[in-house]
Amino acid sequence: MIQREEAPASSAVPRRRGRAIVITSGKGGVGKTTTTANTGAALAATGAKVVLVDADVGLRNLDIVMGLEARVRYHVLDVLEGAATLDDALVTDKRVPALRLLAAAQTREKDDVDTNAFRDLIGSLRERFDYVLIDCPAGIEKGFANAIAGADEAIIVCTPEVSAVRDADRVVGLLGDERSVKLIVNRLRPALVRRGKMLSVDDVNAILRLPLLGVITDAPDVIISTNRGEPVALDAASPVGASYREIAQRIIGTLTTPPVVPHDKSFIEKLFGSRK
Amino acid sequence: MSAARRIVLTSGKGGVGKTTTTANLGAVLAKRGHRVMLVDADIGLRNLDLVLGVEKRIVFDLVEVVEGRCQLRQALIKDKRLENLSILPAAQTRDKTAISELQMANVVQQLAELCDYVLIDCPAGIEHGFRNAIAGASEAIVVTTPEVSAIRDADRVIGKLNERGLPVRLIVNRLRPEMVRSGDMLSVEDVTDILSAELLGIIPEDEEVIDTTNKGEPIALQPDSRLAAIYDKIARRLEGDLVPFTTLRAPGFFGRLFGKAS
Repeated sequence: MIQREEAPASSAVPRRRGRAIVITSGKGGVGKTTTTANTGAALAATGAKVVLVDADVGLRNLDIVMGLEARVRYHVLDVLEGAATLDDALVTDKRVPALRLLAAAQTREKDDVDTNAFRDLIGSLRERFDYVLIDCPAGIEKGFANAIAGADEAIIVCTPEVSAVRDADRVVGLLGDERSVKLIVNRLRPALVRRGKMLSVDDVNAILRLPLLGVITDAPDVIISTNRGEPVALDAASPVGASYREIAQRIIGTLTTPPVVPHDKSFIEKLFGSRK
Repeated sequence: MSAARRIVLTSGKGGVGKTTTTANLGAVLAKRGHRVMLVDADIGLRNLDLVLGVEKRIVFDLVEVVEGRCQLRQALIKDKRLENLSILPAAQTRDKTAISELQMANVVQQLAELCDYVLIDCPAGIEHGFRNAIAGASEAIVVTTPEVSAIRDADRVIGKLNERGLPVRLIVNRLRPEMVRSGDMLSVEDVTDILSAELLGIIPEDEEVIDTTNKGEPIALQPDSRLAAIYDKIARRLEGDLVPFTTLRAPGFFGRLFGKAS
């Protein structure tokens, strides 16, 4: 990793160089926002300082998924345009004090965001946080270009569907070689995979060929937790929550074993057994 | 001037089922005897071709039509199952700014002269690709799922469609009646209350959709599928029939729904 030389900070606080990770997919609705919220919550629960940045100007949702929509006062564009300071705009999470949200503007357009200014903003956040997670909008238009600009790592979220894999493959190409890119396979239904009715994780990765960061099974508790604004990653009893906590550990580097790919029956039995 | 209806299928949020709905509704309308043209407006991230299983037959695309590199009819792919269904694919290696709103509207108008229904599959988001997709439309179907985030995005999109004066109707997709009953999912009534748009259809979650979509065979053409009947009703409502909303697999759900509404 190349560490950029910078002028020493004048304050007594040592300068951080946090990691900026964009969560992207190409296709919409595969779980980018849910993944951002849960991975962020799981990272922050370990004590790391984490900020989540909603880059979906005009169609923001990260605030809802985190249950913070009523606390948003200022947004990214307010900060970029000088109408608010970063401190004004950062919303502290209700459950995890080390977690912050920087909301997107809802009544503006992606074209209103200058890519270079957004990159600089991510740079400033990296000086204050250990992890900057950027929730990318669907598609590969201006909003995508803005979201990836300041990130030197990317997490591709992909569901086991031909269309999602095709879009993800296109996005991997657009991310270029200078970024580290890893994969989360989301909404896997092992029972369907076994019946040959759904692509397996191997099928997905035969095309994408990315290091696997995690596999999230399709579970109703994700919909419930998303609608309630309570990240499932903070639910100690949830198997899906455990998968997100493992993803956080793999990002930090404290877990080096690859994700267990749930194909076999015993996993399902375990899953339903543990639900009781 | 043609009398063809030009309908954009849009949502704001991605992954709620725009492309699947476009393919299935198009297939059902064609099966009912209408001449139907489907347009994939998702330049750079096309998928309608996959869902219809025509991806290997693409020779020309929307952008090439606009740039005059081919005739419109050369770019149209005729479905092998339904002879009055055709698709105009999007370009995959270009971006949404490759065409303008006016160019898109012209293509849709040309298609409208050849058929009865033009269905336009809109990309996710509200950027350039969205503005293109709605440019040639005379009406809109907003597809949403019963999730807070999808509804918020749909609300934003309906606002933009209203600004354009486009009539809007709503399809609630991937409903899980058992989760609505347990209070873990918004009901159709909740959704229509928030969005205050006319309801066109309710489609239950069905895991078969994943498989048929991957295989490029629209579920609406599977004779034994319960979704085929549901898409058929949506098509009849589009034609102007008054088709009642029947119960899904959850007795009592709609009783409660309409009981509260009346």
